[in-house]
Amino acid sequence: MNKDNNSSVMSDVVLSTRIRLARNLKSYPFPARLDREEKKAVCSLITEALADEKLIYTDMETLSASEAVSLAEKHLISAEFASNGTGRSLLLSENEDVSLMLCEEDHIRIQIIEPGLSLEEAYRKADRLDTVIENKLTYAFDERIGYLTQCPTDLGTGMRASVLLHLPALSRKGVVRNLTTTVAKLGLTLRGSYGEDGEILGDIYQLSNQVTLGISEKAALQNLNSIAMQIVTQEKQARAALIKDEDFMDLIFRSYGILKSAYKLTSKELTNLISYVRLGAAEGLFDIPAEKLSALTTELQPATMNTQSQTPLTRSQRDIKRAEKVREALG
Amino acid sequence: MLCQNCKKNEATTHIKRVINGEATESHLCSSCAQNSGYRDLFDDFSFNLPGIFSSFFGDTALALGESRLDRCEKCGCCFDDIIKTGIVGCADCYEKFYNKLLPSIQRIHGKAKHSGKVPPVHGEEITVKEKTVEEKIADLEADMQKAVAEQNFERAAIIRDEIKKMKGEN
Ligand SMILES: [Zn+2]
Ligand SMILES: [Zn+2]
Repeated sequence: MNKDNNSSVMSDVVLSTRIRLARNLKSYPFPARLDREEKKAVCSLITEALADEKLIYTDMETLSASEAVSLAEKHLISAEFASNGTGRSLLLSENEDVSLMLCEEDHIRIQIIEPGLSLEEAYRKADRLDTVIENKLTYAFDERIGYLTQCPTDLGTGMRASVLLHLPALSRKGVVRNLTTTVAKLGLTLRGSYGEDGEILGDIYQLSNQVTLGISEKAALQNLNSIAMQIVTQEKQARAALIKDEDFMDLIFRSYGILKSAYKLTSKELTNLISYVRLGAAEGLFDIPAEKLSALTTELQPATMNTQSQTPLTRSQRDIKRAEKVREALG
Repeated sequence: MLCQNCKKNEATTHIKRVINGEATESHLCSSCAQNSGYRDLFDDFSFNLPGIFSSFFGDTALALGESRLDRCEKCGCCFDDIIKTGIVGCADCYEKFYNKLLPSIQRIHGKAKHSGKVPPVHGEEITVKEKTVEEKIADLEADMQKAVAEQNFERAAIIRDEIKKMKGEN
């Protein structure tokens, strides 16, 4: 897993990498069996153990609902964590690459997010923080089944590693279904982002390890990395073929045109149009940085838009506002 | 129908998603579903709905009878609670209910032993060891019983010979 020198090629397809470690303290029952005071005690033990790490501490009870939801929209915390702050705390690094949810489903959920494909680096950061805690507090651990977690699906390494892939060309070729079956045989899960009608949104998929028991972190990461690279190669080949299709080129340019001039845009419409524009930008058709498109997608989610407005917006007002922001950004 | 997530409110939102080509449906109340749009990708939500893990227990639970009501001294959780919620009470529960939990753990993860990082007090990193002869024989014996149960006596005989051979070599 050497640091790839063609990382820009990778980041055309791999939007981000995430590592999550689930850990629990031996001396306390798991969070579902703790009352508010006990949760607070667990949070402060862990916060003390990480005192030298320059992480920003937030008592989740002090956040408004919209502030909490906004953190979830940035993927810094889970939706469940946002929905109930009782006894819970968050530790966050200044540039938001590191977040620790305390007393979520487990006492500790360490999460690292890195841009592009960066499993090794992301794991290195998670592992280091884990060791800092491990040296001060005693974890719940069993030699047979590894790190003990509230939900048995996370036993073993407690590690869930994932990469977010943008696969417009493979989706269009209709091969994603086969791909999900293939990666499942290799111990990985590939799942799409689905709307309420079961339709895929934005051609964005998450590839993650499924099994946490019996496979070491290193082996799981190597497995994930090599399969991600193979999918990237396939996607790039499919894109090269697709770009020669005049009708598809028309679709890319039209998508860009709609984003630049629409008066109203729904969240779903934006997600789907941005997918084509992202592809066009990656293939050098437009000069738009990928980060700009990612930022737009994050900013213009319904809840975040509501938090930034003084008064609650109707759906229609939100769609108008969203289109306005997109026109501004794409100038 | 009650919400699968909080088990308190009436489920009003039904979310279909496809994981590894298999469609699964979630039934949630409006407050739990409110943010389902961004739950999709980053949350491990779909793995952790209580119903999904409980379904792994199947008939093991019924076979246990009264012993499912024995309580963990540390957290007060009994095996019945674990079946109903799909979550375990504390580290001691894993010790107390180890044998009862093992079949469902194996249905999720396969017959595996932990491999990888280990807390410093537990010594060196664990790497998967080659199975001992005893373990291999135990596996074969289980296979043989399964073959017998399926009335596949031909296969059972082959396995029996294999076991004989392994015992002889030892
Ligand atoms: Zn609910
Ligand atoms: Zn217990």
